[in-house]
Amino acid sequence: MNRATRIAVIVAMAIAVLAPIGLVVYQSFLDGPFFQPKTAFTFSAYEFVLDDEDFFDALYNSCVIAFGMTAIAVPVGAMLAFLMARTDLPGRRWIEPVILVPMFVSSVVLAFGFVVSLGPAGFVTLWFKGVFGFVPWYLYSKTTLIVIAGLTHVPHVFLYTSSALRSLGSDVEEAARMTGAGPLRTALTVSLPMVMPNILYAAVLVFFLGFELFGLPLVLGDPEGILVLATYLYKLTNKLGTPSYQLMAVVVVAIICIALPLVALQRFLLRAANRYVSVKGKAAAQKPVSIGVWRWPAAAMITAWLLFTVVVPISGLVLRAFVSSWGEGVNLLDVLTLAHFRELMEFPNLTRGIVNTLLIASVGGALSVGVYTMLNLAAHRWQSGWTRLMDYLVLLPRAMPGLVAGLAIFWVFLFTPFLSPLRQTMIAIWVAYTLVWLAYGMRLVSGALLQIGPELEEAGRIVGASPGRVSRDLTIPLVKVGLFSSWLLIFVTFMREYSTGVYLLAPGTEVIGSLLVSLWGTGAVDLVTALSTVNIAMIGGGLLLMSLFGKRSHG
Amino acid sequence: MAKLIIDDLHLSYGSTEILKGITATFAQGEIVALLGRSGSGKTTLLRSIAGLEEPKKGVISIGDQPVFDAAAGLNVPSEKRGLGLVFQSYALWPHKTVFENVAYGLRLRNVAKAELQQRVAAVLDGVGLGHLGDRYPHQMSGGQQQRVALARALVYNPPVILLDEPLSNLDAKLREEARIWIRTLIKRMNLTAVFVTHDQVEAMAIADRIVLLDGGRIVQAGTPEQLYTEPVSLFASEFMGVNNQIKSRVQDKRGGYARIELSGHPLWGKDRAGKGVSEEATGVIRLEQVDVVDGPGGGDGENRIPAQLETSLYLGSHWEHVFRCGDQTLRAFGRPLAAGTHWLHLPPEQLWVF
Repeated sequence: MNRATRIAVIVAMAIAVLAPIGLVVYQSFLDGPFFQPKTAFTFSAYEFVLDDEDFFDALYNSCVIAFGMTAIAVPVGAMLAFLMARTDLPGRRWIEPVILVPMFVSSVVLAFGFVVSLGPAGFVTLWFKGVFGFVPWYLYSKTTLIVIAGLTHVPHVFLYTSSALRSLGSDVEEAARMTGAGPLRTALTVSLPMVMPNILYAAVLVFFLGFELFGLPLVLGDPEGILVLATYLYKLTNKLGTPSYQLMAVVVVAIICIALPLVALQRFLLRAANRYVSVKGKAAAQKPVSIGVWRWPAAAMITAWLLFTVVVPISGLVLRAFVSSWGEGVNLLDVLTLAHFRELMEFPNLTRGIVNTLLIASVGGALSVGVYTMLNLAAHRWQSGWTRLMDYLVLLPRAMPGLVAGLAIFWVFLFTPFLSPLRQTMIAIWVAYTLVWLAYGMRLVSGALLQIGPELEEAGRIVGASPGRVSRDLTIPLVKVGLFSSWLLIFVTFMREYSTGVYLLAPGTEVIGSLLVSLWGTGAVDLVTALSTVNIAMIGGGLLLMSLFGKRSHG
Repeated sequence: MAKLIIDDLHLSYGSTEILKGITATFAQGEIVALLGRSGSGKTTLLRSIAGLEEPKKGVISIGDQPVFDAAAGLNVPSEKRGLGLVFQSYALWPHKTVFENVAYGLRLRNVAKAELQQRVAAVLDGVGLGHLGDRYPHQMSGGQQQRVALARALVYNPPVILLDEPLSNLDAKLREEARIWIRTLIKRMNLTAVFVTHDQVEAMAIADRIVLLDGGRIVQAGTPEQLYTEPVSLFASEFMGVNNQIKSRVQDKRGGYARIELSGHPLWGKDRAGKGVSEEATGVIRLEQVDVVDGPGGGDGENRIPAQLETSLYLGSHWEHVFRCGDQTLRAFGRPLAAGTHWLHLPPEQLWVF
């Protein structure tokens, strides 16, 4: 790419990123929706929100939940990572892929699973009551919400810590063993401190995700009226009867103001972490540390965690989708049915949602990877103020939770004359998805790009290829495999996305995620569980494809 | 005729100056080594010639054509300079076969298919890989990959070929063979070549001329013999060979020679740095120039000193002896020696005083 193209691409991205945010900020200072002819500048929306007790309740709850889940997820995740990456724990090979499942299943679906299994009338609850005569838990409390949020975010910590631990050469540990440190001491004084920057990064990430939480509190907090910032925003739509855009805009501004510093902090920590990781020993041979009899309690702990966060909710949900009724004294085998799925097929919007989801994940995902690749190539091997600007721009959408970004994109399509006809098409959904996952997708693609050494491209320039030809003949073919696996990850990510489409939901733009959110509001549990099961099956298909591809490209 | 001219080249990364004014001329058909330690700027200089780095000041011309001129704002991009570069890591494109790797430069030049086939085959034959065109780079050994890299750089007849540490990724045995065939090949094709190395033996073996760099400046440039036998500075003498160093003060000066002393014994040596009397100075003499002699000798017995044999190392073709003389050690090559005191002769014309 030449300089002019690079700058054009970066400017286009700047517009795509800044327009939604600008519109939201603008809207927050108006006294009515921006499309009404008679609106005036005012602070009244801020005054209203800052006067609303519910807002501060929601803010407080978000803080408590974010802190609580970080306190749970980080130690559990770090421990899990150490056990998986560095020890001779039995069954590591088959546990490992299962650990990441909560990351790939959308959190509303997981929340439905908890309701169906552990709710007051859930499968597990009824079974427990039948056996012991009492139930020691209550699903809809704030404590339960924190525990569930914490345990379902363990994979994030696990992922960052274990990859760092794996790239740590075992020579540094062997050196510690040679000087006389036992395995536990080595872990505590050498291995874990060396990956501390990564753990810290994961902690900030989880805390940040805690602020973004939408699906879990929407489903689990609702019965007791526990609001967090995102659900407060969601409920605000109905609070005053009419859509109160200016109030929503204020809440969005508040969410962005909290999220942005956290995003900046993550970026800073990630850089620090990477710097640290690059100075460790050779990662060639790694010998697992033997932890002796501790293997069994460790394995039991992992199994218990898996049972609670993966097996119980998902099996409960799938089971619920296949039974007509349940309760005390009902034999589940007698009530098995496919009726819910047949019912699903009778609603044209639901079938359309399934098709749309497949389309947005496959075709849309590929287009998004194309966009991310373009953007990456625009900044590739170019040191300038423009690329630094781009680095910061990429972070902005990251500070908008899906719900918020969906709302902002909805407004942009409403506001811009030439875009408004596209508002009720999948294009609007695609734009929103691409924007929400911009930072993630950019990192996936740049990871692939960084794997090719600069000299491969320099060699192309030397033998006479222009920068454009180098991209076409050398860079792109070399990252093809990386781009394909990026697409697979984006595929699964788009498949599970639920919050971004909520405000864009209209006839023609249905996706499974947003349909689930709206169906849950109507109480159609049969349909919700059936649709969730379909979603889980589709994600499972995506993951299967991913592991097959992973095996092939490694062998 | 000068093929490549570099004039007062300056380059910095941020506030660190890497090149501090390099001026050099490379003649047609000449093989020049850029020699220096890591951080001396030798690779940066090579990359500047290739157009992969942008200096902030100076001029680079290939043939009569300037390709870089900071004052005129001229910076011809790499692909328009038409040079050949062999990367240290070889940088073979893993998704192309050997044939395609080599052919790429010709395809970019729109060479017709038949001619392309023939030229790639010819250059692959030239590097002894004529039969391996269908292989992928990862299916080849390090030595073969290096030959492919060279073939890729040669195929479009660049006016100057640049090599970045071309032998550093080969093992010792292969490296010695590669020295010979690279020099032979470049000479046979009458190419102008510039290569970077940190190994003085490699530089002397391959190059017609050596440019010794340190701290972004040229320390000395000349033929390998000049650099070895007439180093202009202590640094140059240290870099080019294995030396004895004698730390002392200048005692006396006479007719281009300076006198230093080693534990009380006077030693005359060539005055190479113009140090004044009683200034601190370092005497340098190559190991192979120190002779073990029978005794103090007749006449004035000049430059002969007694030394205690400390240890001897057997190196196959010869012995290396380590002597102690006062608080300093001297090393010399020679036949096996008995323990005890021996006399060493340090010829004044071979002892340099810096």
